[in-house]
Amino acid sequence: MNWREDLAGESRELGQALEHFKASMDAWSDAALRRPRTVTEMAARRNWRPATSWALGCLLAAGSAAGAVHQIVHRHEMAKQAAQRDAQKRAAAAREAASHLGAPAEKPASVAAAVKEEAGAQDENLLASVDKDVSREVPAAMEPLAQLMDGNGTE
Amino acid sequence: MAAGIAVKPMTVETAEEIAAAEFARIVASHRPQILRFLLASLRDVDLAETLTQECFLKAHRNWKHFRGESSALTWLMRIAINLQKDYWRNRRIQFWRKTQTNAVDLDEASEWLPNGERNAEQQILAREQVAQVWRAVKSLSERQRTVFLLRYVEERELGEIAEATGLSEGTVKAHLSRALGRVRTEVRGTQ
Repeated sequence: MNWREDLAGESRELGQALEHFKASMDAWSDAALRRPRTVTEMAARRNWRPATSWALGCLLAAGSAAGAVHQIVHRHEMAKQAAQRDAQKRAAAAREAASHLGAPAEKPASVAAAVKEEAGAQDENLLASVDKDVSREVPAAMEPLAQLMDGNGTE
Repeated sequence: MAAGIAVKPMTVETAEEIAAAEFARIVASHRPQILRFLLASLRDVDLAETLTQECFLKAHRNWKHFRGESSALTWLMRIAINLQKDYWRNRRIQFWRKTQTNAVDLDEASEWLPNGERNAEQQILAREQVAQVWRAVKSLSERQRTVFLLRYVEERELGEIAEATGLSEGTVKAHLSRALGRVRTEVRGTQ
């Protein structure tokens, strides 16, 4: 049954309004069907997306790598500077020690040799004291055996 | 001996070619109706075109399951109704998002009129009546709007509307009656 027959008892205005509404929708959808498509443009835009994400990804990776390298170089530089500062401090301490002893101001090479010698002596002293302590300390359970050894050694 | 009629067995390729040609014919003949229905439901040309494409894509995928129990147009309408239902559901779920919509307002939608032999006064009157119907349509529920558009724009029979929407014919009649009541009120109220 046609919808116009549904409106048999209805006002003329209602029927007209519905007719105009249908005609309006027909005109609008016909215009929509005739309008040019934009598929090509959309496809082109979509092709840029992977390229852009690749470029951004590469940029990010390169940035991270550069940051890491910079950090390593910076750390090396800092360590080098700290070592130089230590050496300068040690040399100054040696110079001061030498001046206290009344010795004339030494050349830098002799100062370095003195520092080295002093450090060597300190190391030897330390090793000697450790050796002594270790040899003296005997576990409680081994004490009788140690005494026996001492007794044998003295006899 | 019976007169032998040579029946050439149909190959799979031939059957597929026939099905593809049949589907292409259906797309060509029903695309305007599907687009019009979706445009009236959504008032957005781009979205209506996208959903029309999607509707035919779905139909193509399921073409082999179509058994011809209803007409091809009713079957396509059913797919289109489900697609626009999904669209509205998704929009409701995503209400918190700033979704971009190109839906035109009612005044703009009312601007569309065929180039008939009307004078300026008649054109204004027709435009006003279209605007009144749009206002009533906007106030309808989703189901009422679908039923109303299928009846008064697509000019479908009640049985076809019932098949396409999955409702009983009685329910379709009830929805139509309520929708028509709204339109009547709107048309009378503004006179």
